[in-house]
Amino acid sequence: MSYAYLFKYIIIGDTGVGKSCLLLQFTDKRFQPVHDLTIGVEFGARMITIDSKYIKLQIWDTAGQEAFRSITRSYYRGAAGALLVYDITRRETFNHLTTWLDDARQHSNSNMVIMLIGNKSDLESRREVKKEEGEAFAREHGLIFMETSAKTAANVEEAFINTAKEIYEKIQEGVFDINNEANGIKIGPQHSPSNSNLSPGSKPPSQPSGCC
Amino acid sequence: MFRSRSWFGGSLWRTKNPHSLDHLKYLHTVLSKNQTVSESNRSLLVETLRSIAEILIWGDQNDSSVFDFFLEKNMLSFFLNILKQKCGSYVCVQLLQTLNILFENIRNETSLYYLLSNNHVNSIIVHKFDFSDEEVMAYYISFLKTLSLKLNSHTIHFFYNDHTNDFPLYTEAIKFFKHPESMVRIAVRTLTLNVYRVQDHSMLRFIRNKTAAPYFSNLVWFIGNHVLELDACVRNDADHSSQSRLADLVAEHLDHLHYLNDILCLNIDELNDVLIDHLLNKLFVPLYIFSLLPAHQFSPLQEGKPRVSSVVSLFLLSQIFLITRQEALVNDLANVILKSTAANWENGSFVAQARPVFGAPSRTLEESLETSTSSLGEATSEDVSEPVGNLNITDEEKEQRLAQEAQKVFLEVVVNSLDCDENDYAALFALCLLYAISQNEGLDHIMLDGMLLPARNTELKQRYNAWLVQKLVNIVTQSCQAVCKIRLVTLELAILLLQKLVLLEGKNLLSDAHYAAVVGAKEESAALLTSYYKREDMFGEMFESEDEDMRKKPLNVEWLMMDSNVLLPPTGTPMTGIDFGKRLPCGEVERARRAIRVFLLVRSLWLNLSGLKETQLPLTNRNDCVQSDTDLDLTNSDLLACHVIGPDGVRNHRFLVVESNQIILVVPVPGKLGYGRPKLAAMLHDLDVSADKHDSRSLFLSAKFTTVGPMVNTKFIFDDHIRCMAAQQRLTKGRTKAREEKMRQMEKLLDIPPSESPQYNLLQQLRHQHRSAGSRSMLHHKIPGFPTQIRVSSASPRPSGDEGSEASNSPGTRSRDGSPKLPRPRSEEIQLESIKVKQHK
Ligand SMILES: Nc1nc2c(ncn2[C@@H]2O[C@H](COP(=O)(O)OP(=O)(O)OP(=O)(O)O)[C@@H](O)[C@H]2O)c(=O)[nH]1
Ligand SMILES: [Mg+2]
Repeated sequence: MSYAYLFKYIIIGDTGVGKSCLLLQFTDKRFQPVHDLTIGVEFGARMITIDSKYIKLQIWDTAGQEAFRSITRSYYRGAAGALLVYDITRRETFNHLTTWLDDARQHSNSNMVIMLIGNKSDLESRREVKKEEGEAFAREHGLIFMETSAKTAANVEEAFINTAKEIYEKIQEGVFDINNEANGIKIGPQHSPSNSNLSPGSKPPSQPSGCC
Repeated sequence: MFRSRSWFGGSLWRTKNPHSLDHLKYLHTVLSKNQTVSESNRSLLVETLRSIAEILIWGDQNDSSVFDFFLEKNMLSFFLNILKQKCGSYVCVQLLQTLNILFENIRNETSLYYLLSNNHVNSIIVHKFDFSDEEVMAYYISFLKTLSLKLNSHTIHFFYNDHTNDFPLYTEAIKFFKHPESMVRIAVRTLTLNVYRVQDHSMLRFIRNKTAAPYFSNLVWFIGNHVLELDACVRNDADHSSQSRLADLVAEHLDHLHYLNDILCLNIDELNDVLIDHLLNKLFVPLYIFSLLPAHQFSPLQEGKPRVSSVVSLFLLSQIFLITRQEALVNDLANVILKSTAANWENGSFVAQARPVFGAPSRTLEESLETSTSSLGEATSEDVSEPVGNLNITDEEKEQRLAQEAQKVFLEVVVNSLDCDENDYAALFALCLLYAISQNEGLDHIMLDGMLLPARNTELKQRYNAWLVQKLVNIVTQSCQAVCKIRLVTLELAILLLQKLVLLEGKNLLSDAHYAAVVGAKEESAALLTSYYKREDMFGEMFESEDEDMRKKPLNVEWLMMDSNVLLPPTGTPMTGIDFGKRLPCGEVERARRAIRVFLLVRSLWLNLSGLKETQLPLTNRNDCVQSDTDLDLTNSDLLACHVIGPDGVRNHRFLVVESNQIILVVPVPGKLGYGRPKLAAMLHDLDVSADKHDSRSLFLSAKFTTVGPMVNTKFIFDDHIRCMAAQQRLTKGRTKAREEKMRQMEKLLDIPPSESPQYNLLQQLRHQHRSAGSRSMLHHKIPGFPTQIRVSSASPRPSGDEGSEASNSPGTRSRDGSPKLPRPRSEEIQLESIKVKQHK
């Protein structure tokens, strides 16, 4: 299925915060946690619609590659959006945000949209980081913020889609140089400024499925 | 959405529990009955595979019998069977994602062995997917990357077969090393690094003998072509129009270097030998280093070979030395740059052996991989050039060649690039390169001693590289001229390098002549700055802000070499968005700013070389100010009660203190009489005071810098207009005085005799009149009883009676703490001494 734009995302944060679970929950809802079995994956793609345009999101998890400086560097540079995730039940994952952010800011395209995510909101009883703290951090650093749960799927859609909306707005404002694929944005095969209509016969996906 | 459909109307085998062996058995029958993929059953098949993955992941943690069944029924073969039916990208993608999920979520090593055991995974890896479909490509490469993260000294044998000399995971992946999609290239790189670090000897031997030369030669050619593109971008962009394209190319080159460095850092000798050989002889020497020479030199060798401009070449070489410290590589490379002479290169190679050439590999990577892996056992060494060998010249050779020795071909070019008569375009990069070499920890010190570092041999008469130092001193001297083409960044770097060259354990080895030149430059720079000097607040502020800026952002050469903007010819216009320090000044104000910075840079060089400590800068030391909410002893201070409304609209009751060049707002400290806790503090000279047109009791205050709390257009409301006026006077006078003091400091710094500007005189006159009018203070004179009232409202009363009758007018001011009376300065005289800051535990 063809798309108007493809946005590449990366997903970063300490180990165990739930990056892989968030990714799979977003790209493939069929994996509902049963019997406490949360499943994750480190790559996924899904079509969404914004402004009645098909937008494909491609999400690359960077976990396990921190050992190599060259790899983290290039990942950041190739992305239009980043989800920076911490675990609301583990304060240290919140404390490390500055390091992640510094790294992201140093290596990424300056227009990259960063969404701060406090994950595991289902574990309210074990909460160590207040929602207000996440909000304050996001405000201070100019990020969008949301609390999610990869387990209950709360806010997962919103997190990925709001990030896409922000990127889309930046494109409309002309901030992104969309002809430069190094930004993590690709124009779809049939997309041209005069004819951004969708190819006949295709309809926006009514429900997310892996088939895009 | 498929879940309900696929299980709907299933056979009687269908069980309630999706996580059970029974359910897996049921799924197995579904697969068995649907061996041929058709339009009607593909959703069912996909869903079945998914469910299988889910059960396996569950089984991995709960029930190992699931895996026994899986293996017994050879269920992975169904995956392969489906793939082989050319069933379109949808099914391929789903299948690959299912495998990803499976391999990522399996935790037990034994479960993993089960999955890998009968070579199906390798068959899937070599399956010819439709890679023109970007989705298939992405999922495929993610699959390979996921597998590579599972590699260790045990699992490696499922992927690398030393009998058949076969390693499809690696050889299939590297075929995509130059895929147009950056994320694919990154995944390939991740995979290669994950493979190398397994450190399995026979696997590494395979990699070295069968793949290293083809992969590295093609990689090096790929990087070289990127460099040519970068060079073309610089050449064709004299008008700075494709900055973002250039930025990408520079970042890409850095990525390449970091990747190479990551490989080298794994310290796998057999691999590093091949890699370094390729890097030196097929890229760095023939393309980067040879490009330093004018085109006609070396022509027989390099005829028709691509080259880059010498600016680009210096830039790229600097990056290498900043990024990698791998001894074998950096020593050979530095040796060629610093030591090699024309005679060394007579045969087209440095001390015979390999002849460096930048050229396309004879075969593509895919072709070479096919031939090399099919011809069993035999190493193809065709692409491997002979090692450069011992680059160090023996003493004997040295003597023989003494005649030609004087001409160090490349070093000559680099050092001569330091001449800035026309511009400093190449000079900046030559400085970067020399600096990068001098700080590289992988380099043999012997090579640098007396060359880029001071000679440690104390016998020598000349203990530093005088030839180079002279060039650096020239840059410093030229920078101090009113008209010059040297950018600040060039000066800063020249100074950095100069200090590296001549400072040994804090002692300066400079000859008298060179030292005198530096002292001369320091005076020139002061003279230049004096010519811009104006006795105005604006100038003082500019001076301080430049000083602070430079203190905050000292030069970082590594970052400088990441900035593609410096690759473009130096420009003056700020409209390119290039930092002030990296371009020439534009207009009178920027020329003044430049003069300030030159002065500060050269002054610090002079201090360092003279072994002196800076005592006059920064002009304002904010560290002396009230910094925190540590309680202050205010028993002897004038306190003015007021209400303060900040930008957030919150109204607070505070006491205003003006002392020691500062404005401080405090609240009383409960239980500590006479103490105040600062809520806001700023230097008076940073203060902007304006009256409120609508309310004579109010003032608006702002300060650029505060040491405690924010103060942006903060409203101060006093009890009445008289107190308000008093506060305003105290603040503005204090500020004037602070700023005057600053000017005096600056004049002392520049050796300007104290001037008698009209502005200054006027002020003095005013003050004189004021005093001769017989009033000790406007406050006391015009508003009897005023200070007392302040004290009434104050929660931390100070000793009463120190101001005589006024104090005794109000009984409320009686000292309650009985602290000794101290003479207090007149209130319009703001004290310059510090406030006593007492730690309150
Ligand atoms: N309760 C709850 N658990 C979660 C949630 N998201 C993830 N988890 C659990 O947290 C653990 C880690 O999740 P992953 O997705 O593997 O974490 P990750 O960030 O990918 O970790 P690395 O891959 O090691 O960097 C798993 O055990 C998940 O089951 C959530 O929203 N709620
Ligand atoms: Mg993960």
